[in-house]
Amino acid sequence: MKPFDIVIVGGGGAGLYAAMEAMKTNPGLNIAVLSKIYPNRSHTSAAQGGANAALANKAKDDTVEMHIFDTIKGSDYLADQDAVEVLCSEAPKIIRELENMGTPWSRLEDNTIAQRPFGGAGRPRCCYCADKTGHTILQTLYEQCLRKGVFFFNEYFALDLCVDGSRSRGLIAMNIKTGRIEAFPAKTVIFATGGYAKMYWNRSSNAAGNTGDGQAIAYRAGISLKDMEFVQFHPTGLRKSGLLVTEGARGEGGYLVNALGERFMSRYAPEKMELGPRDLVSRSLETEILEGRGFDSPAGKYLHLDLRHLGPELIKSRLPQIREMCMYFEGVDPIDEPIPVRPTAHYSMGGIDTDNFGRTGMEGVYAAGECGCVSVHGANRLGGNSLLDILVFGRIAGRAAAEEAGKFNPSPISETEVTAKELELRSFMQPSGHYERYGSLREDLGHTLGMNVGIYREATKIRQGIEEIATLKERFSHVRVFDSGDVYNTNLLQVLELRNMLDLAETVAAGALVREESRGSHTRTDFPTRDDINWHRHTTYTLEGTGPRLGFKPVVMGRYELQERTY
Amino acid sequence: MSDSTIQHNEDSRDVTFRVHRFNPQVDSKPYFDDYTIRLEKGITVLRALNYIKEHVDASLTFRAFCQAGICGSCAMRVNNMSKLACTTQVWDELDKCREPGIIKVEPLRNLPLIKDLVVEMDPLVEKMKGYSNWVDSKMPEENWGRKEFPVSEAEFLKYDKATDCILCASCVSECTILRANKQYVSPAVLLKSYRMNVDSRDSMHEQRLAGLVKDHGVWDCTHCYRCQESCVKHIPIMDAIHGIREEAIAERGVKDTSGARHAEAFMEDIGKKGKLVEATLPIRTNGVVWTMKNLLPMAFKMVLKRRTPPPPPLVKSTKDIEKFRAEFREMSGHVAKDHAKKSGE
Ligand SMILES: Cc1cc2nc3c(=O)[nH]c(=O)nc-3n(C[C@H](O)[C@H](O)[C@H](O)COP(=O)(O)OP(=O)(O)OC[C@H]3O[C@@H](n4cnc5c(N)ncnc54)[C@H](O)[C@@H]3O)c2cc1C
Ligand code: SF4
Ligand code: SF4
Ligand code: FES
Repeated sequence: MKPFDIVIVGGGGAGLYAAMEAMKTNPGLNIAVLSKIYPNRSHTSAAQGGANAALANKAKDDTVEMHIFDTIKGSDYLADQDAVEVLCSEAPKIIRELENMGTPWSRLEDNTIAQRPFGGAGRPRCCYCADKTGHTILQTLYEQCLRKGVFFFNEYFALDLCVDGSRSRGLIAMNIKTGRIEAFPAKTVIFATGGYAKMYWNRSSNAAGNTGDGQAIAYRAGISLKDMEFVQFHPTGLRKSGLLVTEGARGEGGYLVNALGERFMSRYAPEKMELGPRDLVSRSLETEILEGRGFDSPAGKYLHLDLRHLGPELIKSRLPQIREMCMYFEGVDPIDEPIPVRPTAHYSMGGIDTDNFGRTGMEGVYAAGECGCVSVHGANRLGGNSLLDILVFGRIAGRAAAEEAGKFNPSPISETEVTAKELELRSFMQPSGHYERYGSLREDLGHTLGMNVGIYREATKIRQGIEEIATLKERFSHVRVFDSGDVYNTNLLQVLELRNMLDLAETVAAGALVREESRGSHTRTDFPTRDDINWHRHTTYTLEGTGPRLGFKPVVMGRYELQERTY
Repeated sequence: MSDSTIQHNEDSRDVTFRVHRFNPQVDSKPYFDDYTIRLEKGITVLRALNYIKEHVDASLTFRAFCQAGICGSCAMRVNNMSKLACTTQVWDELDKCREPGIIKVEPLRNLPLIKDLVVEMDPLVEKMKGYSNWVDSKMPEENWGRKEFPVSEAEFLKYDKATDCILCASCVSECTILRANKQYVSPAVLLKSYRMNVDSRDSMHEQRLAGLVKDHGVWDCTHCYRCQESCVKHIPIMDAIHGIREEAIAERGVKDTSGARHAEAFMEDIGKKGKLVEATLPIRTNGVVWTMKNLLPMAFKMVLKRRTPPPPPLVKSTKDIEKFRAEFREMSGHVAKDHAKKSGE
């Protein structure tokens, strides 16, 4: 079988932009996009807010320079400044490019792309399409890829890389619709598989499949990961599902109330109350729950977001979407009942360690999007910078891979390698005496992470988390796939995703333990301040034996000196 | 008395899911499995299915991803209507059960079945390709990224609703024409085509339109409103269908459209065979008078500037064929005159 020039794993914003750009760079290339779901279903579609770019349509005095500074400050100075410069200076170009290819944008009166204010930004520079920005960007990219004839392998699940010494030869994947294991020999591979925040399971706003597959595959192949301990939490996720209740609800005057009936934010932010900064509000909710002032339910402890005093009129007219969500997913009408909420894992800053061209530690392997870590978000991502990240670095990786693809001819993937993979998967279906169900393991993993490696972290708890993850890994060795069929075996897929999450959870916990400071999203109660002398550096993780070996990397500095992060 | 009224306000109760099962590797034909589980109020159908998969039957197969009504993966038929399992509350469905307490769950229709509740989506993607469901930018690619097209908010609003579509295929599953003719363009594809055709940045309106008026295209729609009624995002799909037809008439003329040709052929067909063939399904399902008013002369009506009446109740009989022919002749006459007048201006 002739090798592909580029195999892109992932059909979200990052993967599709990479595919488009690669085709543009060299239309003669043989490119394949593999995606475990139809590309238009990728989690990029969940982004409502928008994408940042200093177009200066709304605020005429906005500049790329200001965007750079906001991003670096937002990252708590852990972002690499050269990468941030690429991100922000490419931003206006990439947003215009999307516009030129047909993305619908909301418009200002002068017929330019509309922009709105977003957290942590000094100017209104978030470009949006109503409340469906990610969705419309993803649709446009998918449409354009269809126009260009990109070759899609939809509902293919990437399993593992095939490696020759220091170089990848392609990968092995499963055709979900038939269950067949297939080889994808490739000169270059780009991972664009999205984030890993779903490891917090029902304490996560993410889609069920944001299980960090690309990161786990890379990690197993010996590629380093970076900054995995940084996971961003959002204060108000729905109790049962973790889905987001956006800031709008508090903006309109909603109260946060504990089981004693107190508006507890008065303890933490007496002036701003419910409208304090996102991380502070998240920490406040968590404290209330930890100190026993939350409500109890089978789905876990929670607090109330009460909108009832706003009255039916206002709720119906200003917060219709939020009301609909509460009714759909929680069965609660906020006109009559308070909304059950708790903080929810939202975004993974860490990922596969890449340089500014998306190159990873292994020749021929690239990564982009939430799956990679360049790093432009450092310890804390700004709202609206993630869509931008996937577009800008998706495009760069696509171009870089296209330029490299011609220079290498990989040795083929053998039949034996494919058969070995088949046997490995079959082994999950072999009955053994004692067995475990993936469902309870997955839930226990989310629980452990939430309790021990969540918003508040502290050495003894993290250690407990690490032990529990080890136990879960042991239990996983007894996990059983009950569906023994080949066709569309989601039982098997969920087990494979769980394995990926377990591998990555170890790195998150290890990083949380070693980083003895508080920075951005990482809050250590035993080390409550930022420690620039010892910890102004990235953490890296390489698989050694069965666990991660930690390393460190300096932060690339530039024009901006370290400062305290205050707002 | 159904016990669902009695138990309705309860916070938990037993619910039975009667689920469509089919595994092509072992089953010769589909069958149903009943799963009875105890549920808390506030649970969605998707969460109930997840529960069954995790605790009762791991082989039960369905698609789900975002679990938030955004990605369009989990569309299936619940109590005979296509919808998203993840945004459907079990307690609401209890009201709609034909047999009290039993919720029926089936795969989408009009797309090939893969397993249990999973259907093949490729035919839909192929149609999107076939009808060029993308903006073919007026700007050459090498100039992209330099400056914006100026677009008014008013223009954006023309395709705002249409871009809400998450390609869940609920409308596809409910479409009456697709049940008889799988080659039919499909409501979601018409919607997307319309969205592209009203975008001033696009350069291939005419080509797209030419495709849409061919066989299996926009004129095949029976105007039954099923798609719009089932759209999970409440998109006025019919506006898009009207929009394309209007554009077709305006740009291609009445006589020239395949719509008109279609209508004639259709009538001849009835006249000659004296009985209804597959292509005349709309008559069978909606009645002759209604079909006459809605399907055939959409083109003519546009020209005559009449409003579409709401769909009348289903009529099974097909005996007013004679009356139908007479009216059709009369109407064609009107249109011909009207058309002549217009082109004379
Ligand atoms: C609720 C929510 C709201 C958000 N709002 C915003 C916002 O307003 N602004 C902003 O900038 N960011 C926002 N974000 C973050 C942003 O949406 C994501 O970071 C971004 O979309 C990730 O894009 P991606 O292309 O990297 O990955 P994704 O879009 O997640 O795509 C991943 C792709 O990889 C594929 N894949 C994964 N594993 C495999 C495998 N094993 N085999 C084959 N294929 C695989 C999947 O099929 C999918 O196609 C939000 C996130 C959430 C959860
Ligand atoms: S109105 Fe037309 S497209 Fe919609 S369901 Fe009826 S026949 Fe299908
Ligand atoms: S038009 Fe509505 S029902 Fe049809 S695919 Fe789009 S969102 Fe789904
Ligand atoms: S799972 Fe995404 S729409 Fe239901």
